[in-house]
Amino acid sequence: MAASQPYTVACSGGLVKSSNAIDLLKSPGVAQELRNFEVSIEGGYRRINGFSKFGSAQVTGSTTNILGVIPYADGVIACASTGIYFSQDGTSWLNVSRSSVAGTGDNYTAFTGRSTLARTSQGQISFSLFEGPDYDYGMLVICDGANKPYYFRMEGTGSNINSRTYFSDEVTVTGTKFATHGEIHDKHLVVAGVEDNLSTVYYSTLLDPTSFSGTGAGSITLSDQIVGLKSFRNELFIFCENSIFKLQDINGTPVVIPVAKNIGCLSGYSIQEIGGDLIFLAPDGLRTVAGTARIGDVELGTVSKAIQPLLTELANNINSYVISSVVIREKSQYRLFYTDTSVDENQQRGIIGTLRPNGFEWGETRGIEVTEVGSGFNTDGVEKYYHGSTAGYVYNHDTGNNFDGSAILARYATPNYDYGDLGTLKTLHFVKVSASAEGVVEPDVQVRFDYGNTDTPQPVAPFDLGTINPPAIFGDGIFGTTVFGGGNNPLIRVALQGSGHSNNFTFISDDTKAPYTINGLYVDFIPSGRR
Amino acid sequence: MATTYLDLTNEVLRELNEIPLTSANFASAVGLQQFVKDAINKSIFDIANEEPQLPFLTAGESGATDPFYGNVTVATVAGTRWYELKESSSSIADDYGSIDWDDFYLTTINVSGESAPFVSKGLKFLNLADWKRYYRDSENIDDADGQSYGEPSFVIKSPDARKFGLSPIPDKVYNIHFYAFDKPTKLTAHGDTVVFPEQYTNVITAKTRYYIWQFKESPQQAAFAMDDYKKAMRSMKSNLVNPTPRTMTDDRRYF
Repeated sequence: MAASQPYTVACSGGLVKSSNAIDLLKSPGVAQELRNFEVSIEGGYRRINGFSKFGSAQVTGSTTNILGVIPYADGVIACASTGIYFSQDGTSWLNVSRSSVAGTGDNYTAFTGRSTLARTSQGQISFSLFEGPDYDYGMLVICDGANKPYYFRMEGTGSNINSRTYFSDEVTVTGTKFATHGEIHDKHLVVAGVEDNLSTVYYSTLLDPTSFSGTGAGSITLSDQIVGLKSFRNELFIFCENSIFKLQDINGTPVVIPVAKNIGCLSGYSIQEIGGDLIFLAPDGLRTVAGTARIGDVELGTVSKAIQPLLTELANNINSYVISSVVIREKSQYRLFYTDTSVDENQQRGIIGTLRPNGFEWGETRGIEVTEVGSGFNTDGVEKYYHGSTAGYVYNHDTGNNFDGSAILARYATPNYDYGDLGTLKTLHFVKVSASAEGVVEPDVQVRFDYGNTDTPQPVAPFDLGTINPPAIFGDGIFGTTVFGGGNNPLIRVALQGSGHSNNFTFISDDTKAPYTINGLYVDFIPSGRR
Repeated sequence: MATTYLDLTNEVLRELNEIPLTSANFASAVGLQQFVKDAINKSIFDIANEEPQLPFLTAGESGATDPFYGNVTVATVAGTRWYELKESSSSIADDYGSIDWDDFYLTTINVSGESAPFVSKGLKFLNLADWKRYYRDSENIDDADGQSYGEPSFVIKSPDARKFGLSPIPDKVYNIHFYAFDKPTKLTAHGDTVVFPEQYTNVITAKTRYYIWQFKESPQQAAFAMDDYKKAMRSMKSNLVNPTPRTMTDDRRYF
């Protein structure tokens, strides 16, 4: 046998959709497919967590779109149909949209005895949490784009909600007009997307989100229709369809400064703060508004060039999708979901961006239907993530090993490797895969030669990586669970067959097993001839 | 169990760390897999060309017409010199692959109408040059005039290698027994079996590897494979063709 040669690849760079096949030869660590994988903050590509139902009950008791979901107090608030619901456990939901609640608060009996306030034709929800000076859980303001904003506040730390006091009412911004977006900024509630006043931002009085008519309240009209608001440091960024502004000095003499005149935002629900930046969906991709060293100056940058084709398709069909986004802080991760409610759940898509030292690296989700996703801290100070779907349930987001009981189909496809010379035929000998398992996992690896050319013999079935056990560490291992001999980052040797001028590897799993991370590959091949 | 074309192909593919075929995709093999399939046929032909009288290439079991040696019998016709070696063949492409010219046998036994004493003797092979020089003219004159013919004593090979001739031209019906070997049949379907005993299929795979390594431009590996082939071929020939004791005899003819 001729001398074999080695080739080592570290998995980094994330999903790349905007490079051609030859370009990708120079970037072996990136992925040309990264479906239900995320870029790990430690490097490598990790199969994502799943999701599971929060409780067993549908929010309204029937199948309907979840329009908004956010952790609140020791439970979750979800908006669906014509109601706003709260639940601690997901098995019983209390409609907290009530009329004529006393200004001093209602006890549970009085509150539940009030007639429900129908939130007719609710749209996608924008939540704003005003912490307040002494509130137990803060005041939640709900803007739905069809009704007057509504605030809800719950007081009382006992675990039984029967012992709590409830405050809620509609907020009058201007007459009976609805608002679409709300944001707490510098002790004011700021709303936009107000009915018949789509270019105007309204801000409440200081420290009172419920009043838009007292001292300190006001409004500013811009030249463009507003699609989103985000408070960032001491400024409020106002995202319009074709421009971006920032509002400064809201407590003094408010002034609006243009940030960009030819870049707008496609969806206010895409705006998130991550890593000292605001990220939002622009017509040409995901952009950031980064504060610069110079006070008052900003820098706009596109961060999604690597996955531009995905975003172009998204931007071209933006009205077909329900956009929602969330930041998972412990993973430095921005997730954008774009759900087409007319298609099957398995076809629903999302984008995962992990902020790494060299910027965002991307992955994709498939099969997670998200009509709204929200995050927040529970009473224990732990950040929780929830999402809703068209099935009417609220789900614990990014947890577990399955998609609410279904297998997670995950695929990570490397670019084609030419091993330094596209003209030489190489016979693959074996590959050693560096993988970190979080449980007992059994992924496979598929090999395709010469870009899947049908004139080249292709392996019919994937190669089995065997069983990868989680690390067994003395002192941490659990009797009956931990498998003896499991390494931290084992190198799994897989014998390969076949030859070609180039090849790629696709790691596949379609099961309900634990997540795992592919860190890198070592390929042993035998070069032979140039014919 | 006989070795199939698929078995052989996959044996080579596995040895080269290539992707094996299945019965389902065998017919649609592409690239290197198809090259291996082709190389197997080429190797079988190489082996048959190098040693066409391997026992498993025989045209039929010997001794079918007991007690005579040979596996082909041709009946002569009075006055006819030339006979097709394979009557059913219409071209040299379908003829036998090889004939044992040193073992032609002539007899009247089992010939209709013949009774003892029978004629029964071996025919000596006479090359065409000697036949033309010493016998052709007189036999042709006899054929054209007296037509007395005679009892054949020699067998001759036609220049096109498709017929054998008898000298003298037979004067009546005789049975001619001789030994023939078939050409190997090209393998096509995945279930086609090779005529080689399984023990000797390594000769085929070694030669196939030789072609594959040439294809992969690895002369060193090709040389190793060729060496394997030569050793395996030598062993096979030693076992199958020359296993019996030999004695030296002098059968020269004197004039």
